[in-house]
Amino acid sequence: MRVTQGCFSFLPDLTDEQITAQVQFCLDKGWAVNIEFTDDPHPRNTYWEMWGLPMFDLRDAAGIMKELADCRRVYGDRYIRLSGFDSSHGWESVRISFIVNRPKEEPGFRLERQEVDGRSMRYTTKAYAVDRPEGERYGA
Amino acid sequence: MTQAAIQPVPDQPAPVSAIDLRKEFEAVDIASVLAQLDRELIGLVPVKTRIREIASLLLVERIRQKMALATTFPTLHMSFTGNPGTGKTTVAMRMAGILHRLGFVRRGHVISVTRDDLVGQYIGHTAPKTKEILKKAMGGVLFIDEAYYLYRPENERDYGQEAIEILLQVMESQREDLVVILAGYGDRMEKFFQSNPGFRSRIAHHIDFPDYAESELMAIAELMLTEQNYRFSAEAREAFIRYIAVRKTQPLFSNARSIRNALDRIRLRQANRIVAKLDRTLTCDDVMSIEAGDVLASRVFAEGAAKGA
Amino acid sequence: MNMQSITVRGKDRYKSGVMEYKRMGYWEPNYEPKDTDVIALFRVTPQDGVDPTEACAAVAGESSTATWTVVWTDRLTAAEKYRAKCYRVDPVPGSPGSYFAYIAYDLDLFEPGSIANLTASIIGNVFGFKPLKALRLEDMRLPVAYVKTFQGPATGIVVERERLDKFGRPLLGATVKPKLGLSGRNYGRVVYEALKGGLDFCKDDENINSQPFMHWRDRFLYCMEGVNRAQAATGEVKGTYLNVTAATMEDMYERAEFAKQLGSVIIMIDLVIGYTAIQSMAKWARRNDMILHLHRAGHSTYTRQRLHGVSFRVIAKWMRLAGVDHIHAGTVVGKLEGDPATTRGYYDICREEFNPMTLEHGVFFDQQWASLNKLMPVASGGIHAGQMHQLLDHLGEDVVLQFGGGTIGHPKGIQAGATANRVALEAMILARNEGRDYVHEGPEILAKAAQTCTPLRDALEVWKDVTFNYESTDSPDFAPTATPAM
Repeated sequence: MRVTQGCFSFLPDLTDEQITAQVQFCLDKGWAVNIEFTDDPHPRNTYWEMWGLPMFDLRDAAGIMKELADCRRVYGDRYIRLSGFDSSHGWESVRISFIVNRPKEEPGFRLERQEVDGRSMRYTTKAYAVDRPEGERYGA
Repeated sequence: MTQAAIQPVPDQPAPVSAIDLRKEFEAVDIASVLAQLDRELIGLVPVKTRIREIASLLLVERIRQKMALATTFPTLHMSFTGNPGTGKTTVAMRMAGILHRLGFVRRGHVISVTRDDLVGQYIGHTAPKTKEILKKAMGGVLFIDEAYYLYRPENERDYGQEAIEILLQVMESQREDLVVILAGYGDRMEKFFQSNPGFRSRIAHHIDFPDYAESELMAIAELMLTEQNYRFSAEAREAFIRYIAVRKTQPLFSNARSIRNALDRIRLRQANRIVAKLDRTLTCDDVMSIEAGDVLASRVFAEGAAKGA
Repeated sequence: MNMQSITVRGKDRYKSGVMEYKRMGYWEPNYEPKDTDVIALFRVTPQDGVDPTEACAAVAGESSTATWTVVWTDRLTAAEKYRAKCYRVDPVPGSPGSYFAYIAYDLDLFEPGSIANLTASIIGNVFGFKPLKALRLEDMRLPVAYVKTFQGPATGIVVERERLDKFGRPLLGATVKPKLGLSGRNYGRVVYEALKGGLDFCKDDENINSQPFMHWRDRFLYCMEGVNRAQAATGEVKGTYLNVTAATMEDMYERAEFAKQLGSVIIMIDLVIGYTAIQSMAKWARRNDMILHLHRAGHSTYTRQRLHGVSFRVIAKWMRLAGVDHIHAGTVVGKLEGDPATTRGYYDICREEFNPMTLEHGVFFDQQWASLNKLMPVASGGIHAGQMHQLLDHLGEDVVLQFGGGTIGHPKGIQAGATANRVALEAMILARNEGRDYVHEGPEILAKAAQTCTPLRDALEVWKDVTFNYESTDSPDFAPTATPAM
């Protein structure tokens, strides 16, 4: 399967050139860019690990691309995403987020059902990967 | 999903075999930056000549790129040597503009730092600091003033060495992303390069900033005053010529910067003189005019006289 | 137009009998509205022979304190304060016989936080007033003091995006079709296919409630099976607007509770349930972490005609106060009414913190929203992937694009239809962010994306010639004109 979180998951994986253009778009808007990684891509896992602090006040994408390269070197077996954060009033939130690195194999999620209260159902989504300890989830 | 990954074709225009030089020169509009440099900076003829040479070199390099004759991205890191107040920072800003117009840096901003911005105080502090600054400078020019302070041979465990290593690596591997300008006194920079040959080999252009002649310092003073809507009276002008001659011989003289400071103090004394006599009507002329007394009250003359005695 | 106050003052004002409205104090051309006044702008079309100023004063009177004759009981009140004051009357450009009446209402005329009370005053009786041929409420300025008495959108655009973990692009939805007749089991299939294919939301239609072919509990159960399956298949948060519209508040609460219990992120109501029910559901939604989708069912009966009724921009303002999170606000290019400039005005009202007066978009007043949450507009009806560049250009990024037919009608099936829409959207956002002129290069961008996506190629082929070009019935009265430099 393919996790389709983020802005561009339905397109072919972005090249570094394409990623650079998106990062520059964020910087030109005055947003801080953040690199995050995880090996638990549950749809409600909000807090991926941060690769350093969000990068504020940069002019050019090159510095972020260098950080991304470093992050890939260390966590290339996991999901890595970039996000642009807008601190202006009325937003103060993420304005764009997209995946820039994936594990080689994406095993996906198991849907667990618990029958309750007659015909009702409780659903739990669980990534197959999290059956293994953190750091060993994608065959690294 | 059904899409297969595809390689996008980079949008590179086909190489050309001939170029209209004048059109190219006008298109990048470096003439206006050079003109600005001439306007803003008095004297500095050898510096301006070097800048023109570098601009021409880069223009040709750009044309060679278009003709697909350029093989590698040129090294553009520079060193600016000279005494304080000789225009190094200003020239760095203009240089960034030229590099930007010619397409050798993408944004054209200047991040100006000293040792304290790059080097940390404890283990693990320096690398993030240096990298942070480098990230901010990407796409522009990193101007490191008094660069030799990065290197402190007397202390083996000095963290400056760590910053130097990171800098050297980025100067080599990310030449397309930023230009580093190292600046400082000529003699100390020379020693710095001797102990750090890695820097010397990565610097493409050395520019030496000579001290200003006395007449140039006077011209600078008059330019600064005009910009602020002041002017010397004839006697004040004479006094300031003498002031320059004396001040130059004293310690901590820093060219244009000393002139700026002197004028600041002169404006203070002028204001004090005006306010001392309240019962009168002031004209524009009164508030614009610097009188000889405003200049002569400077401590510089007293010290000069004491020394001479 | 008479620019002097002709209000009768002193003892004569309260002599028994009939007096013109404009002499009773409802026409005050020198009145300057206070920051705390509610201001309404009406388009007044008097009957032939009726003095326009008198007609407009009558609107002020009938929507506030007046009745057809002088009453002595006025004297027991601070009557001057409670009288609405018409302070400006302009002929409508290019529309002889109609007038714009600006009427100011004192804040004390309204109950805090009640749309029902606000509307009972402003559009209560006056629309049937005989001396008028027609009357339309065009716009309102709601003072900050009044805005602050409302909850506003239960969730708001920012938190909705955070909950859904979807940023930087419009959201995609589809209304399950056919509108009527599917069983719960078949209905859930459509939801699963569309969500798995790439949509963020599916949606019940306005008239899907609890009918013989599908009772509501059945629908909820099968829909949530589809939603959860799709969520596990994609790793994305998915939702379907479960319509809880019902005959009574008790029924609606029961349905909403069940939706929550099943883990739905969003529920839906129809405008026809009424303002009070909408506000009740908005409060419920905030208490229960639920996104609240509003379908504007029925609005065209009073929003569409230019001369009579209530403009949709006013409805949009009321709904932002009332506290829904989504509102259908037009597509510009689709099958339902909406000219680009007017629609732009609606979208601004939903999404901005401040709306400056913009006559060419039909916005007559500066409106401060005082940090009230933003309301997500929804574009639904006759749109398809081939229009993606135009949709993005007209409607921006904070919008739900609903491709019902454009998903379910895809020749290769619902999943393929959903994928086509999502790929078209992502390709367009990518190109826009890269700085390309996506509005003009749109077709090329789509064609390029279709090279690696067969479903998009099919969609572009099937719907390539579908457009809905009809004259709009409700466009702004003011066009931007170039003014010579002075």
